[in-house]
Amino acid sequence: MSDLARSTQFFHFTAAFGAGGLLTLMVLCNGTLAARGSLFFASWIPHLTGSIVALFLLLILRPKRAARVRPPLWVYLGGISGGVTVMLTSATMNTALALSGTIALGLAGQVVFSLFADMQGLFGLPKRSPTPRDYMSMMFILAGSLILIFLGGGA
Amino acid sequence: MIAYAALAVLAGLLVGLSRQINGRLALSTSALESSFWNHLVGLVFITCIALAIGGLFAGNPGDAPWWAYLGGPIGVVFIAAGSWLIPRIGAAHTAMLIIAGQMISGVLLDVILGAPGNTFARVVGVACILAGVWAARNPPKREAKIT
Repeated sequence: MSDLARSTQFFHFTAAFGAGGLLTLMVLCNGTLAARGSLFFASWIPHLTGSIVALFLLLILRPKRAARVRPPLWVYLGGISGGVTVMLTSATMNTALALSGTIALGLAGQVVFSLFADMQGLFGLPKRSPTPRDYMSMMFILAGSLILIFLGGGA
Repeated sequence: MIAYAALAVLAGLLVGLSRQINGRLALSTSALESSFWNHLVGLVFITCIALAIGGLFAGNPGDAPWWAYLGGPIGVVFIAAGSWLIPRIGAAHTAMLIIAGQMISGVLLDVILGAPGNTFARVVGVACILAGVWAARNPPKREAKIT
């Protein structure tokens, strides 16, 4: 791997890691809304303000379109999947699974889906086969996450 | 119980599905536009469900502190980042690194907010995750020749 490719990869990895940090802040904000209002409200408000902010950013930054042809309509439906996720997690959070079980099983779902998606090159994204090293890395990250979820809390 | 467990796994699958679809949209448009559509379509969807079921403004939503309303703008950056990254480093790396970042920043936040917790478990958990992140980058030269 060349130095340039390595530093590009480092940048991508740092960005993904940082996005995880953003997710923590987002969960804190939305969870605080949910503590006062309804679960619908806690999902509706961030979607509303997010749409407005994204629209403003689009108008200001005017990012270049990668392709001139419009993509098929179904690629606009990612938001529905996100909306269903909110409802499912708020449903399971209040069962015996609790928040920790919901998060842990959600991680399992994400890992299985992402491996499948990579191997298939799902929806026309680049196809890639995970290496043994990727699996090892995944085991470490999952093990650490489970330790934090089930043993790291105060209970 | 099994049914709820299945729903929790399904929620995780849907997170991956939505990231994959948004990533595909970003390939044709841009990461920011993909994030915009994700939010707008999600907003319409949630509005319909909330209108059908009711209770959108139940409780005392007005009591929430002002900063709790920042989740939306943060989400715009988060979704754009995911859509941008997934075609570049793949779904598995994107998911794993986001999880790693979320877990470790969660511990940091807990420490800052003074939430009670098991320090030993936190140290072991964070060390494990960092080892995993280190293993993910730094591919051996043998693999580098193939790519």
